[in-house]
Amino acid sequence: MPLDTSTTYPLTKLRLDGRRWNELRLIQAQISTNPASSGSSFFSMGNTSIMCSVHGPAEGRRGDASGSAGGAGAIVDVDVNVAGFAGVDRKRRAGGSDRQSSRIATTLRSAFQSHLHTYLYPHSTISIHVSVLSADGSLLAAAINACTLALVDAGIPMPGLLTSCTAGMSGSASTPQDPRNNELDPLLDLSLPEEQELPVLTVGTTNSVPVGENNMDTDEEEMKVAVLTMDSKLHCTYVETMLAVGIDGCSQIRELLEGVIKGSSRA
Amino acid sequence: MKSLRRDVSSNPQAANVASKVFVRSTRSGKVQKIVRELYLRQDIPCSSKLCSSCPSVAPADANGNIAPFVLSDRPAGTKAFPRGHYLVPDTNALLNGMDLFEHTGAFYDVIILQTVLEELRNQSLPLYNRLLSLIKTDEKRFYLFFNEFRLETHIRRGPEESINDRNDRAVRKVASWYEEHLRLSTKKGKKESSLPAIVVITDDKGNLRKAKEENVTALSLSDYVAGLEDSEKLLDMISEAREARDTKGSARGELFYPEYYSMSRLMTGLRAGTLHQGVFNVSPYNYLEGSIKVPAFDKPLLILGRDNSNRAIAGDVVVIELLPKDQWKSPSTKIVDEEAVTKNDNPDTDEIEAVVTDRERKALQEEAKQAHGKNSEGKPQPTAKVVGIIKRNWRQYVGHVDSNSTASHSGRRQQTVFVLPMEKRVPKIRVRTRQASDLIGQRILVTIDSWDRDSRYPTGHYIRSLGELETKGAETEALLLEYDVQYKPFPKSVLDCLPAEGHDWKVPVSKDDKGWNGRRDLRDLLICSIDPPGCQDIDDALHARALPNGNFEVGVHIADVSHFVKPNNPMDLEASVRGSTVYLVDKRIDMLPHLLGTDLCSLKPYVERYAFSVIWEVTPNAEIVSSTFTKSVIRSREAFSYEQAQLRIDDPSQKDELTESMRHLLRFSKILRQKRYDAGALNLASPEVRIETGDEAGDPLTDVKTKAMLETNSLVEEFMLLANITVATKIYESFSQTALLRRHATPPPQNFEDLIHQLSKKRGMELDVSSSGALASSLDRCVDPENPFFNTLVRILATRCMTSAEYFCAGAHAESEFRHYGLASPIYTHFTSPIRRYADLIVHRQLASAIGYEGEDGAAVNEGVSTRGKLEDICRNINYRHRNAQFAGRASIEYYVGQALKARGEKLAAGGTDTGIDEEGYVMRVFENGAVVFVPRFGIEGVVRLEDFVLPGESGAFAVAERRELAIHRTTDFDSEEYTLRVSEKTHSEKEKTHSEKERSVQVELFQKVKVNVSSVKEEGRGAGKRRVRVLITGS
Repeated sequence: MPLDTSTTYPLTKLRLDGRRWNELRLIQAQISTNPASSGSSFFSMGNTSIMCSVHGPAEGRRGDASGSAGGAGAIVDVDVNVAGFAGVDRKRRAGGSDRQSSRIATTLRSAFQSHLHTYLYPHSTISIHVSVLSADGSLLAAAINACTLALVDAGIPMPGLLTSCTAGMSGSASTPQDPRNNELDPLLDLSLPEEQELPVLTVGTTNSVPVGENNMDTDEEEMKVAVLTMDSKLHCTYVETMLAVGIDGCSQIRELLEGVIKGSSRA
Repeated sequence: MKSLRRDVSSNPQAANVASKVFVRSTRSGKVQKIVRELYLRQDIPCSSKLCSSCPSVAPADANGNIAPFVLSDRPAGTKAFPRGHYLVPDTNALLNGMDLFEHTGAFYDVIILQTVLEELRNQSLPLYNRLLSLIKTDEKRFYLFFNEFRLETHIRRGPEESINDRNDRAVRKVASWYEEHLRLSTKKGKKESSLPAIVVITDDKGNLRKAKEENVTALSLSDYVAGLEDSEKLLDMISEAREARDTKGSARGELFYPEYYSMSRLMTGLRAGTLHQGVFNVSPYNYLEGSIKVPAFDKPLLILGRDNSNRAIAGDVVVIELLPKDQWKSPSTKIVDEEAVTKNDNPDTDEIEAVVTDRERKALQEEAKQAHGKNSEGKPQPTAKVVGIIKRNWRQYVGHVDSNSTASHSGRRQQTVFVLPMEKRVPKIRVRTRQASDLIGQRILVTIDSWDRDSRYPTGHYIRSLGELETKGAETEALLLEYDVQYKPFPKSVLDCLPAEGHDWKVPVSKDDKGWNGRRDLRDLLICSIDPPGCQDIDDALHARALPNGNFEVGVHIADVSHFVKPNNPMDLEASVRGSTVYLVDKRIDMLPHLLGTDLCSLKPYVERYAFSVIWEVTPNAEIVSSTFTKSVIRSREAFSYEQAQLRIDDPSQKDELTESMRHLLRFSKILRQKRYDAGALNLASPEVRIETGDEAGDPLTDVKTKAMLETNSLVEEFMLLANITVATKIYESFSQTALLRRHATPPPQNFEDLIHQLSKKRGMELDVSSSGALASSLDRCVDPENPFFNTLVRILATRCMTSAEYFCAGAHAESEFRHYGLASPIYTHFTSPIRRYADLIVHRQLASAIGYEGEDGAAVNEGVSTRGKLEDICRNINYRHRNAQFAGRASIEYYVGQALKARGEKLAAGGTDTGIDEEGYVMRVFENGAVVFVPRFGIEGVVRLEDFVLPGESGAFAVAERRELAIHRTTDFDSEEYTLRVSEKTHSEKEKTHSEKERSVQVELFQKVKVNVSSVKEEGRGAGKRRVRVLITGS
């Protein structure tokens, strides 16, 4: 058995992979990796790597377009495929998707459906394909980032970059936070072993690109939380701390993604 | 298409990311390959106070705090290292010498590497936990250095390198890095020559050699210790396991024990049902006979002899295989003591001994004969042999050095001695020591390291000495260690959780205070408490009053401990580990700090206290109309002892309200009690006595009292039972999965087989065990008019046939299994003693949550009801602690009785001879060569050996040695059918025999009342120091 975070973190302030509490994993991102699609991206945080491609906006199938929703704007269709070799155990999946990938797909769909300016494309479908090549924690967060990149590559208008990351606590955090004697640290960007051991939440934020009269007052960046999910049990007094760390991580990632996008357009 | 390969050059950080790949196999046998990233960094501090550069780079945690530096700037040194040193042990050094590292006399400033910690965790979880707690204590100055993450000390495994070599290399790398680092970054003004040395401690020869080549200071553990002061004592603490293996090697041909099966064979066998797994148990009367209860069979399987028990020690989880039918035997009817049989073994000369000595073999033969003899009832029973060990449950054992096994010319040479553990069921332990002559006559703590096939006895090492035998301090500590009672003083972190006001804490005056949230004001009720005399930790108080509608209101008020002990703080964790308060004769080991237990929580009279109340409305016939639960504030009017309360109730001149309310309570309790018996509750007996330590001068024996039952005792008991049952129902309603309950499983009828047979044979009595009610009434019928104690004796024996009650969480069993057999209640829990039992504290939290109590800050405290897994761990621990607390209490009383007898004996010896005390005893069990006699006056059970039967016409020679001589001349005539034993003088000719037997023999039978003589004698073997209480049968 390898060591675990909740035991050794208080002693060394180092996480299982040698990171500090506020450090992201190594992020690598590229866009336009697959010229055959409208937009595509490759995104990896540590050992989690994801490929994403976007098709559309294209005319939807007849059945879909006739629906009432299609009339108002484009429908976002997300398909997530976690490769059988992505995890530690090779899994053979019988065709369809499992629970994990369909949950990610649902979250992605509702996040981007409301985030994108879909009203510009009535009667059409934007389909996003997410392929998880290897999974090592923070899957949903990485998938959101990959989708954002691919959608930017496809030129689909959106108010700002939607970026996401995870935050956790360095212990079970099941009792109220004691402000005098706080032993637990929030952790940023959890890897798989940490995710399995500790409470974790995923947060996604967006900054709306300022428009109109005030577009010059950009020194104070305005952020909105667009995605927030948590499956683990945790005392509510910790949520604020975790959220703060997560949001900070999101803006770090945003800067990185902006760099990638700008770098690519120059080339 | 773009390349997706990771582009290292573009990102400057990427060069510092390494990855670690390892393979592990899961429990189901699947092999997984795991890949992890490693982020190498340069800001991991060396944590030496000498260093000037690390403090500036040391990173802060989320609150901006920097961990204080651990390693001293003036570390201790030895002769070889006058400048002081930092130690860097490798994994083997920790495995072999954890006791040394915990020693307070040496081993300070130790750098524990991540590599080592991880390896240790893989090898031994208990040692890993011990090391972690060492790292957490400040005074030992252990620093956990995450070397794998520091850029300079991270190393990659070479292509042909074994993982061990790689880890050894990592240790050496750290040592050389530290040396270099300290040289460069020491605070200015410090001379280079004063830098501490970095000493690698390793027992690996290859590692030592390579260290020399690389110019790293490295020493083996024993070489290092040899350079310390007090080295002799410390050297003994090194584990023998490895050393023994090294020296013996393969040269030693003779193997005494069969090899264990391979793990895969065990697993296959277990799955196929041909092998069985269970906990190995040793008979307290015969060390060669073990038994194992496995789920596949109703009755335990027997394991006879050393060969078959194959190095298993009581408590180990083992795998067994059935023996062929021709080797089945009946359980032994003999008392076999290890020291009697193997007294002359020599600890040094292993070569000539066979695993089963001739004498042991003889003892076994006789048993076999017995088994194959006439008897019909004692049918041969299935026997088995141990073929594998799943888990060793070795702990530290208290014992003493067998003085026969030490060489007389000892001096300071290292020699091997036997240590006889206090626990009779554990074989003697071979220990190598240099201080044998000092250790004789001391209570010492040893541990078992290994038991190899080529060694007859397990090998262990010395840990520390508790003090001289028979001194009060040493014996008390021995007892606490033996029963794993946590007796260390509460650490500061626990005391910090106490209310800051200390003894001045009071219930807030203003009702607006948050302490009053959700509390009912019951201060006007006439509440009183009834407890044993001198009780300080008052858990419970009671009241009763008439209601206008003719019914009565009855309340039980329990100390509100959960108000003071918040979940998961250090105090709660400490209490959950301790599990229970342990009561010894002259000492109490508290579960909660003194301040809470005896003051703030304790429902003392005349002061206001927080309480948790259960209030019923009952009809005059004690039918319960309704029950409510509430947190409250009460003021107890009086704290009575049982006797005081009884006197007050019985005194007709007392007509005040308080006495009246007690009279109501008493009346209700009698009705409740009758109802309980009608429902089939058992009235069980335990052989308990109570010690009242009074004045020093008097005869200490008069302090030994059998527990008197007053009406007021059962008054309190009945209402506590009622409260427990009511609460159990309530929390189970609210938490169907996680309610903490207590159950007493219905004992399987075969447990009673022996007793039923004995009763019908000897007394023609029937025992109906079909239900608890049937058992209760048939027990009532087991009366011998000439022997009033007989009924109690049968109850004691019946109690032993039952299983013990246990805590469990509701989800673990089906509802039908919740029954409490002894109390004949469908559901039960413990609620009424939260000061001294952790289970009650959890139940308090659950009940508070169930009634929606919100606590001081308005946040529902629902910890303890949330996770079942955690609760099950707690149950396991408190069951274990509860049992041990009982054992420890009994052992303490036994020790006290022994000491009292000794004191009396000495007093008498001063004026003449020690003649012991004549008492009545009852035969509980008959063996082929002895009997077990119960002496109710002192609540003790004594094994009466052959020599301890005083034949008619024999003078009472009381000296142990003289009597021992007698044993050789005795013959016995044992009838296992009739449970009788006739002891007579061995005679040479038949003629003489017929003549003399009439007067020179004594016969005892089961259940018989006998006259016994009780005295305390110095025991030479096992129990030395405990002073065996010797029982002589002097007549019937």
